[in-house]
Amino acid sequence: MIKDHLFPKTIEEALAFLKECKGKARLIAGGTDLIPEIREKESEFEVLVDIEKIKKLKAIREESKKIFIGPGVTFSELEESELIRTNAFALSQAASLMGSPQVRNRGTIGGNIVSAQPAADGALALSAFDAMLEIASVRGTREIPIDKAYLDIGKSIINPSKEILVGIRLEKRKKGEGSNYQRVAMRRAMALPILACGVFVKSTNGLIQSARIAIGPVSNTPFRAKETEGFLEGKSLTPEIFERAGEIASEEVNPRDSRLRGSRIYRKGLSAVLVKRGMEGALANIR
Amino acid sequence: MKGKKQVGKEVVLRINGKEEKVFCQPGETLLYVLRNRLYHTEVKEGCGKGDCGACTVLLDGVPVDSCLVLAYQAQGKEILTVKGLGDPEKMHPLQKKFIEKGAIQCGFCIPGQLLSAKALLEKNSKPSREDIKRAISGNLCRCTGYKKIIEAIEEASEKMSNQ
Repeated sequence: MIKDHLFPKTIEEALAFLKECKGKARLIAGGTDLIPEIREKESEFEVLVDIEKIKKLKAIREESKKIFIGPGVTFSELEESELIRTNAFALSQAASLMGSPQVRNRGTIGGNIVSAQPAADGALALSAFDAMLEIASVRGTREIPIDKAYLDIGKSIINPSKEILVGIRLEKRKKGEGSNYQRVAMRRAMALPILACGVFVKSTNGLIQSARIAIGPVSNTPFRAKETEGFLEGKSLTPEIFERAGEIASEEVNPRDSRLRGSRIYRKGLSAVLVKRGMEGALANIR
Repeated sequence: MKGKKQVGKEVVLRINGKEEKVFCQPGETLLYVLRNRLYHTEVKEGCGKGDCGACTVLLDGVPVDSCLVLAYQAQGKEILTVKGLGDPEKMHPLQKKFIEKGAIQCGFCIPGQLLSAKALLEKNSKPSREDIKRAISGNLCRCTGYKKIIEAIEEASEKMSNQ
């Protein structure tokens, strides 16, 4: 049962509240995942620590070589940000495809990461950018790559009773780089993806220097298609290569059978298609 | 609850331009407080978990599912329900067009549809069909097939921008 709902104004104050409550408090951001959970089952926590009034967590800004995204930024804000569209097109696309307008107006990118669903659109796109996460606790802050943030379905290494995700950083886009996000769902709005895929490509003179491909849900956590990424290194940006990359991706993913959201075989086949389309989209996005 | 202090406090919510004081408990959704504590039954409860949009209200002008917002979080914000849009004597052009076009059948999704449409027209006075579809994509309707709803919003936008 929830006994209190606090609105700290700073990160320090929020951390102090969490500490005071000794594991009985939980951080709340947009609440789009947490609120139905509170209603459905007896919650283990008694105090909600709300990040809404912490301004630092709600900014999108340029740093010298990086883009800083506050974890309290909503999907709508991400979708509308020119800075994100220019620097991280795939993230902009992912933000516009997730949920419904109502959910995008409340749901935050930080919550999307901490909730750790394998097909979380925002988190999946960020994975393709090798985003870095800054996590604060009373002991100080640490920075980890997003791919190290997940433990299992619905479980990230960020403990919302002790720690706060305080920053997300990606490299600014450079010449020769492009990205794209692909998503297939039962409906075009308000449906979880059957499969989604974020692609980032870095190229020089028509050759791929490196590629990053994140796919979900094909594993317990957002999945990086490392074999496909390895294959793409040094290859040319041609339809034949994209086709082959798709085939390799469909071999390395390990999706589950879902009677509602597609069989394993279907999702494997779809992985090939979305990786190929994602590569085409990323190529078109290269500047 | 014997021997336990009742948790909760009085909060002030600004609903349709009027401040309303209400006792509520932390963890209670805005939807629950609006309906069960303040009798704003014009806000409809559908799925209760953000999948249907029936409980849509505008919070500082943007559509949200009131089942996914806690009442405590709505303090200090402007809440608009369909009753704040207009009443039978003074209807909003959207409300008039919904009736004229026959966009209302069972009516359950309509408060949400109207508020999503209102938020759209505030931002974009001449939306395309695609813009309209996207704006109401979070509001499920099981009767109309959306066609008449989309037409009603389109005609209301034309009427409003001609005024």
